Amino acid sequence: MMRSLGHLYMALCAVLLALPIAVVCGAALNGGRSMFFPPRDPTLARFGEFFVSEPVWTQALLNSVIVAVGAAMLAVLLAWPVAYLLWSTGSKLSRTLAALGSMPFAVPPIVFGVGLGFFWGFLGGLGTIWAGVVSHAVLLMALPMVTISIGLQSIDRSHLDAAATMGATEAVTFRTVILPQTIPYTISGFFFVLVLSFNEFIVMFFVSASGFATVTLQIFNSLRNGYTPTMAVAAITFIGVSVLVFSAVARWGDLPRLMGADQSRN
Amino acid sequence: MTAVERIEADTAQRPAREGPGLRRILPWFLTGLITLLCVVPFLLVIAISFGRKIEGAAWTWDFTLANYQRFFVGALWPDDVTFLYLQQLGFSFWYAVIASLLAVLTALPFTLLLTRLSRRAQAAWLVFILSSLSLSEVFIVMGWDILLSNNSGLPALFKSTGLTLWLKDVGWFQTLRDWGLASPRNVKFKTSQFATILTMSYLVWPYAVILLYPALSRLDRSQSEAARTMGAGGWTVARTVILPAIRLPLFGSTLLLFVFLLGTYVAVTVFAAPAQHTTAVAIYTNIRGANLNAPFGATQAVILLISAGLCLGLGHRLNKWAEAR
Repeated sequence: MMRSLGHLYMALCAVLLALPIAVVCGAALNGGRSMFFPPRDPTLARFGEFFVSEPVWTQALLNSVIVAVGAAMLAVLLAWPVAYLLWSTGSKLSRTLAALGSMPFAVPPIVFGVGLGFFWGFLGGLGTIWAGVVSHAVLLMALPMVTISIGLQSIDRSHLDAAATMGATEAVTFRTVILPQTIPYTISGFFFVLVLSFNEFIVMFFVSASGFATVTLQIFNSLRNGYTPTMAVAAITFIGVSVLVFSAVARWGDLPRLMGADQSRN
Repeated sequence: MTAVERIEADTAQRPAREGPGLRRILPWFLTGLITLLCVVPFLLVIAISFGRKIEGAAWTWDFTLANYQRFFVGALWPDDVTFLYLQQLGFSFWYAVIASLLAVLTALPFTLLLTRLSRRAQAAWLVFILSSLSLSEVFIVMGWDILLSNNSGLPALFKSTGLTLWLKDVGWFQTLRDWGLASPRNVKFKTSQFATILTMSYLVWPYAVILLYPALSRLDRSQSEAARTMGAGGWTVARTVILPAIRLPLFGSTLLLFVFLLGTYVAVTVFAAPAQHTTAVAIYTNIRGANLNAPFGATQAVILLISAGLCLGLGHRLNKWAEAR
């Protein structure tokens, strides 16, 4: 009895969670210019508009991809030395650096967005796409910092001792023992940043200063003129990317462990 | 090549090439970089919050407390007092508190059930949860907007299925009208606090699951089983064994989600009535929007930041206090 009630509750949560997503996806099939649910005169023409024929959307998609991939690479590059320093020394400085590095992610994002708006205004980067890349990398570097730290903690200390006994220098140990064992965690961190940057809105809203538009910005701009089914295609694309990325992480990495599940039980 | 062979090869090739240089420069370089990128933006917001707006132009550096005075008692104080901005902050808190509580309380049983599934099933659910977690605020608002808007979605569904008529017959319709959830003809969810809080709660629900997941999956199940063997019912076990063990993560998650929701922008602009907008919306209007008063926007951002910091600090103290007992 309790068991089936539990399953029922989980199913209910899943349905509620999927409800707005399903509605948006369904609305993408509309043949006309306005959103209806269930869709009227279903067609796939909107997909062509989003990916090929409407320059507003294709340019926005390109910007989103540039920002997300750039930010993910930069965030991993920023997070690695901090996580490594924290793990290898555990010093006060490294702990402070890790705390400061996670700060942008921990405070309400609108405050960091405002700050970055001023920051790039002074440096002359406001409205340029590279400023967007750096901004997202800084905002989200907390994620690879966490995944890489989890990876570093999973290294068996006896491997390090063995390497040291054999006369390996720190750099050699790093390349032969540490790096290979932490690559799955680094890649997970990379993808977390990729997906979250792809979907982030408010920080980019302040940093772009209408100089360029990513897909989320373009959607928000279009909210005022009413919805079009093309926007729903964007939503489908983004959900698809998320599902693909997280499935990949689950397939090749240990998702429950990354999310902090207990190791001893299966 | 095994790890041992790799180490041997590399050690032979390169006898101590890297000096102590990198080891010494790296921390300093990192400190500089992180200060510049993570700390300076916040310092700028604080500095500019003391600045002054120039009519018809931008703003200038200054050290005036006028913006803070305006926030707490209005620009014309002491002749005239307005609590408009405090009220906006109040709405920020109100929405965030209710939405985060709602999210955590409904996510708790779900996560508990999730941790009892097989590892494979957990991974599959996590993919689903993470995908919806990462979904952009704009898409979520769009989805709920379609669902709740008057011409399509739920109100239309209510009308066509006769639910509206039934509500009118049993007299609940008047209650909904009193709550502001119905127009004379049909139910209406836009604009309402209900829609705002629902969407905000939905926004952080997957976060609540992810935050509770580690604590719940480490829960010692033998204790619950022992209690059951001793004859305790499901509800008693939940209340006396599980709840005390997860009290702190529960509280911590609510706090984190609350702080995250303090800055919600899109959901509030779309679903809340203009008179019930929050500080986050006001920040935007001042900095990028119609008002063009960057110093005052910065002031509001600082106050939002301080509120968030105070709540996190208070939570940290409470945590320590609870652990010490």
